[in-house]
Amino acid sequence: MATTIDSEIRIPIAHDEKPEPKSRRRTRKPKEPPTGPPATFGTYLIAIIAATVFLIPLAWLGLAAIATPAQFSQGAAGLLDVQPTFQNFYEAVTRINFGKFTLNSLILSTIMSTLTTATSATVGFAFARLRGRGQKPLFTLLLATMMIPHVALLIPTYMLFARMGLVGTYWPWVLWGLAGTPYLIFLFKQFFAAIPLDLEEAAIIDGCGWIRIYLRVFLPLAKPVLITSLILSFVWAWADYLGPALLLNYDNTTLSVATASGYLDPLGNGLPTIQAAGALLYLLPVVFIFLFAQKRFMGSAVSSGVKG
Amino acid sequence: MSTMTEAPVAVAGSSRGRGWRRYRTSTFYLFASPWILGFLVLTLMPVVYTFGVSLTNYDGYSPLWRWVGFRNYIEVLTADPGALASMGRSVVFAAVVVPLTVALGTALALLVNRRLKARGVWRAIFFLPSVVPVVATAIMFRLIFNRDAGLLNYIMGFFTDAKITWLADPYAFYVLILMMLWGVGGGMIIILAALQDVPVEIEEAARIDGASYWRIVRSIILPLISPVLYFQVITGVIGSLQILVQPMLLAETSSIATSASVPSSTTLLMVDVYNEFFYNQRFGYGSAMLWLFFIIILTLTLVLQRLSKRFVFYQVESGTDTDKG
Repeated sequence: MATTIDSEIRIPIAHDEKPEPKSRRRTRKPKEPPTGPPATFGTYLIAIIAATVFLIPLAWLGLAAIATPAQFSQGAAGLLDVQPTFQNFYEAVTRINFGKFTLNSLILSTIMSTLTTATSATVGFAFARLRGRGQKPLFTLLLATMMIPHVALLIPTYMLFARMGLVGTYWPWVLWGLAGTPYLIFLFKQFFAAIPLDLEEAAIIDGCGWIRIYLRVFLPLAKPVLITSLILSFVWAWADYLGPALLLNYDNTTLSVATASGYLDPLGNGLPTIQAAGALLYLLPVVFIFLFAQKRFMGSAVSSGVKG
Repeated sequence: MSTMTEAPVAVAGSSRGRGWRRYRTSTFYLFASPWILGFLVLTLMPVVYTFGVSLTNYDGYSPLWRWVGFRNYIEVLTADPGALASMGRSVVFAAVVVPLTVALGTALALLVNRRLKARGVWRAIFFLPSVVPVVATAIMFRLIFNRDAGLLNYIMGFFTDAKITWLADPYAFYVLILMMLWGVGGGMIIILAALQDVPVEIEEAARIDGASYWRIVRSIILPLISPVLYFQVITGVIGSLQILVQPMLLAETSSIATSASVPSSTTLLMVDVYNEFFYNQRFGYGSAMLWLFFIIILTLTLVLQRLSKRFVFYQVESGTDTDKG
């Protein structure tokens, strides 16, 4: 099952790696002559120590995932002298209905990412290219909603959805998707605002309406941002824990909830090595996406964060 | 070419007659409506609904609820030491985590802004943890801080015989802080971008004048990137005050159903709220706590806004972009 995740996700990424160089959103500076002060021996020393510390949790997860329970219970001494076994991975996919949870995660993340990307692009276009009464205050409101404490908002949303009978279904994600994501709207707005006026002028002169201009002229240009948005929102939905934990039942929940709470023996005790293997399988797609689309993650973080 | 000459005729003939205008308010609202509707239904409505619930003794399912006025609010503020303690803990948590994340993020950004070999790889290593899903992060930290099989107790075993139960009471708080610090990479990337916007000439000039690296960092770089640091502080405060999932997942038991088993040192405000809702079934009371939380966040943001005027240095009106053009 893990392989299908990869192949399904990799296709769009591998496909988009080529147009990257001519991508026109916020051209990034590295690659030009190196900037910044030179690195000394001390710099490397600090960098190596810091990188080691940052990688330890991942390495430890990997070690626990290939250890036998006996080695694990010996403690770190056993783990550092591990005899690799892949039994944990077998157990991780058989002890819980791994395939079904993965499919749930895939469906939910796909619904969320396609809908929210479509909406965010449209709304971003409106803020960048159209004019209307009340637009300025609405944009301020949009920026303000980026500050809203989302976790705190989720419980109220849960109460409302419970009232409407939507708990246990995927409808909340459809609604969230249709509403767009302020962060992505902002990303699209930035992109569309940078496109020269001539382009839409030509289209207006040709008698196109705004919907045609948007669909035929602007949307095709926005391909790099569309892909970034799809990837980011997919990973967010894949990583979300609280949403599925509150709003779904255990049968139709996502892999994140199943990974967190599904690996128990009949007595209710945790199974750390198996859970580590499960967590690794759950994490792997995200790491792959990150490695292929690193620039997109960083670039989007930058263009949203610099805005003070 | 020919379209260019024909086009104006077409415009004058077909649409201008009906009062052609380039921008119509209705077009804007047509395009922006999904978000506006979404905001009304998915943000405003829940918040308002919660306020309504906070004035009742609703328990989540029973239809026999009553209006109780502001009694819930009064109880939170005067008769619930647990709630006040969790609020205080959240404030302490934010007061520790936010400065640490901003400082560490800045330090890492300064580090990877240097001319290291394979700079991209270093950046990726520090950035990756911030992308790792919280469930996986919590599992990793539970393994490292495991009492018997964890790495930390193993390392400490060289110095002392005492085994510390890290995920239990006094220590869980520190583990949680470390877990937050591990995800510092997101902030690092934003600060790094700000560092790259600092004009090279100013740094050069200072160096020629004999300023040391630390002097340049302190007197030139930090003031110039202070708007970005300020932004980090604001989002950091909002983010760390509403921490909920991390303490729950870090708790020894692995099931969300038992969120009440979160050790008291990591029972932060939102964990307490969550318990009121789903453990004690006090929806009305929990809603009142949520509203108090919203008010706290709003007040804090406004206070920080005020303070920023004193500490944040804005080069030109809202312009990191202006010096590029």
